Amino acid sequence: MYQNKHSIFLIILLGFIIHKYYCKEQTYEHKPNKPLRFHVAEFNFDHVSDVYAITLWILLGSLAKIGFHLSHRLTEKFPESCLLIILGLIVGGLLYVTHLTEQKAYVLNSDTFFLFLLPPIILEAGYFMPNRPFFDNLGTILLLAIVNTLFNTICIGLTLWGFQFTPLYGGTEFEMLPCLVFAALISAVDPVAVLATFSEIHVNDMLYIVVFGESLLNDAVSVVLYRMFASFANIGQPNIIVMDIVLGCLSFFVVALGGVLIGIIFGVIGCFTTKFTEHTPVLEPLIVLVYAYLAYLTSEMVSVSGILAITFCGMVMKQYVSFNISKKSDATTEYVLKMLSSIMETIIFMFMGLSTVSDSHSWNTGFVFMTVLLCLVFRVIGIAIFANIANCWRLLELTRIDMLIMSYGGLRGAIAFALALVLDEAKIARKKEFVTATIAVVFFTVFIQGITIGPLVKLLNVRRKQIEEPTMSAKLTNRMMDHVMTCLEEISGSGGSNSLRDRVRNLDRNYFKRWLLREPPDRKDIKLLQTFKKINTLTAMRVHDTARGLVPSASTATVQQGMPEHHHLRSHSAYGNVSELIAANLPENTVPDLMSYENHEGEHHHNDAEMHHFLDTNLYSARPRAAIHLRNQDETGSSDDGTHARFEKSYHHRDQRYLPTRLERELPHGPKTISKTVHNANRPIGLKNSSPKHTRSPPTTHQQLNPRSRSRSIAAHQNSPIPSGQRTKSISKDSRISPLASTHIENEGTGRTAVERSRPWRHLSVTEETGASSSKTANIPLANGNDPNLHHIPLTVADFGGTYTKSPEYMGEYATTTKPEEPSSRPDVRDIFNKQSDDVSEQQDDGSTESITRL
Amino acid sequence: MGSKHSILLSQEEIRSICEETDFTPKQLQRLYIRFQELEKRNPPHGYLTREDLLDIREVALNPLGERLVDVIMQDYGDVNKLNFQQFANVFARFRRGKTLTNLNIKEKKLLFLFSIYDRNHDSKIDRNELVEILKMMVGGNIHEDQIATIADHTIGELDADGDLTITFKEFCDTISKIDVDEKMSMKFLN
Repeated sequence: MYQNKHSIFLIILLGFIIHKYYCKEQTYEHKPNKPLRFHVAEFNFDHVSDVYAITLWILLGSLAKIGFHLSHRLTEKFPESCLLIILGLIVGGLLYVTHLTEQKAYVLNSDTFFLFLLPPIILEAGYFMPNRPFFDNLGTILLLAIVNTLFNTICIGLTLWGFQFTPLYGGTEFEMLPCLVFAALISAVDPVAVLATFSEIHVNDMLYIVVFGESLLNDAVSVVLYRMFASFANIGQPNIIVMDIVLGCLSFFVVALGGVLIGIIFGVIGCFTTKFTEHTPVLEPLIVLVYAYLAYLTSEMVSVSGILAITFCGMVMKQYVSFNISKKSDATTEYVLKMLSSIMETIIFMFMGLSTVSDSHSWNTGFVFMTVLLCLVFRVIGIAIFANIANCWRLLELTRIDMLIMSYGGLRGAIAFALALVLDEAKIARKKEFVTATIAVVFFTVFIQGITIGPLVKLLNVRRKQIEEPTMSAKLTNRMMDHVMTCLEEISGSGGSNSLRDRVRNLDRNYFKRWLLREPPDRKDIKLLQTFKKINTLTAMRVHDTARGLVPSASTATVQQGMPEHHHLRSHSAYGNVSELIAANLPENTVPDLMSYENHEGEHHHNDAEMHHFLDTNLYSARPRAAIHLRNQDETGSSDDGTHARFEKSYHHRDQRYLPTRLERELPHGPKTISKTVHNANRPIGLKNSSPKHTRSPPTTHQQLNPRSRSRSIAAHQNSPIPSGQRTKSISKDSRISPLASTHIENEGTGRTAVERSRPWRHLSVTEETGASSSKTANIPLANGNDPNLHHIPLTVADFGGTYTKSPEYMGEYATTTKPEEPSSRPDVRDIFNKQSDDVSEQQDDGSTESITRL
Repeated sequence: MGSKHSILLSQEEIRSICEETDFTPKQLQRLYIRFQELEKRNPPHGYLTREDLLDIREVALNPLGERLVDVIMQDYGDVNKLNFQQFANVFARFRRGKTLTNLNIKEKKLLFLFSIYDRNHDSKIDRNELVEILKMMVGGNIHEDQIATIADHTIGELDADGDLTITFKEFCDTISKIDVDEKMSMKFLN
């Protein structure tokens, strides 16, 4: 493993070196005065040199990262940032020794850094900022970011300057203002370093957000201080008047609030833009990136804090954009952001190592030592003071251990380094010392603190971050706790953070969401429903990924056995209220059955997985393609028909294969299952025995139940007279549709409803069955006379319940053919509904579509 | 104003409630002022009714407000009357402080949360109760079937023994990862 990696690096390096030499020789060869001749191919390095170098750097960084992660031993002990710096140092050393290139091209350049390397990292941080902890701890974060940074700057600056009167610096003189400039850049905690380190140690959310939030927000302070002291140094110490200082303080608010404002404005515009990207979903990720970058550039242009701008831009966008853009775009955005920030981070650390190797150093032991020491000491002191102040209002108090980790996590990084590099040597005479000291501090924090913080966290037993899957219950309980606490706060009259949060949420729902989302929420808990959708999707994905065997016959057997007793249990405990069930218009033969399956298994995911897998392996012969297609099937509703066609095709031989077995099994089971269905449906006993004739002229007392009973009657009807081959076909057509439909439901929020989806089979089965069960037409007017709401339900259940509702039965049908009649009866119900209420279905389509998409 | 109200609360009472709830006398005083604000009867009778609490606009707007008031009234007051001691007792559960009494421990908070679901006091959350809560929290526009599906899913998640109901133990187990202590605490001004 090790050997491998080293050789890889050597080869890369070697290639790089050879490449450089080769170029030089080539450029020489171009010169001589040979007669011009046509060249078959020309070597044209100059043409691409810059971009080529950048690309190579990116490649090197990526390969390095990949290489590090091949060895667990290495990454366990050392944070990635350290390894990258070391790599940078090695490469830099090689370049330096061989004098291959002028250093300039490969040294961290502060323009490159601030314009290209930094924004993606900060955007990613803002976009994935855990909003809840961030705003819960906002007070603490602000206190630390503003006051603590100010405190650190002043103390470090003045102390450093004070020590020039001792012989510690060996006689080198440092003026006061340059010292303050230096302190301003060195005392700010660096978001890049903090991110890199904290993402590996997994401390709890609160601790992470306090340190990271501080590092993000202190940008405004450090930018202002840096700029202020730098311009003071320009003006010259004697010429400074009070006015300058006042203006400096004022500019802090401008820089901070201006940055936040610009970020929010661009974020809002971005969200607003995505409201109209329905037809151009490919551009959606780009919109997010471009607006965020624009926010950064704009704020840099008007010299306010770009970091704040892009952070808040990301936060705002995350709130609304993900509701607007398609699922794919959402995933892409997140992925691209992660990718960009990860590679930028890699390059930054590598460049830092690289730029360390240069001639522009001036090592002053005393100064370096003092800087490192003071940074540490004042960090600890500052945190101790301000964390204790914050504890006065904090609900969850910061413990000593928290404070220790917070002060120990105050890492300095590339921002400080980049700022040190842009110091003007003409004005600040000691630039070289400052750069060296900055590098020393950065290396100290990244190496010593970065390496030891992991073990320290373990040693002190700091509460770790709990990575949990989203569960419905957790989300529900969380939300409930919010509501309860808000309410209690109102009652107790202490308007705490909960009621504030509630107010913000209301504002958000009433105004922002209305303007920025494609479809305004109607006092609904979007988050809650979204969680549900996410869980559903996750389950579906998992189902797809798990390679389980065929549905074992044992499980179906148990299901079969368990049916009656579970039905019993249901009707008593959960559906005790029969009238409520009827009022809810649940299509009985789907929901209760499903319940008993689920509840019997206790773990319906498994059941589901089996079902899906079974269908996957058995139903489609073109399996891999189908699977890919299904999973990728997102917004593109048009692909629907294509899939249909494919499945239909692939289905045909399946049809043949199943035909004989089904023929055998069906007949003996038929009547039994019908009675079971009826029984299952929780219906009054009187209807249980009702024959087809009865239901067609139903007793007035049971009018509510009519449509359903009719459907069953059709099933019964079918059972006896039609040739079974034909029937099987209709059944299987139905089941062919089912997985398709269910995947749709999980994957998308588009306007296709069950009606539309199921159209193909509907037509087919209708034509097939018209001959056999012509009586159906007679039923239609009756059904029409009922409440139109009734027809709504089968659609939505089929839609929404997706996998959960449907698959069990189909599985059952295929695995054992225990209840062949049930599924066969279902299309008929739909047929009736759809046929007689074409106009109604339009309406319903809207309704059910809405309900899906809202999720 | 404060002094006028505080007359109604004897030193004896303050002491006993403080002992029970571990509020500081000052916090209690504040709560008492609030208590009297809420009770709009003149002359004061010293108890709150359900209507008093629902008069607070934010409570009435809160999706769970009514349910919460019911819980407070039925479980902690007697027959639609909640006197100050009971009032303080309710809030003592959510007091944040270094000292733990037997009131503000995690279990009490969880029980309070549980009791919001469990209105028939059978120590179980059944499907109907869950659906009811979901309806309150999700709003009216969602179709019942969707709510039913969500409810079933949730029960499926929580229900360990497969009896279709959620017992208190199952409830606690599943949300053990949530920092209930932190989330269900509030700061009472000193």
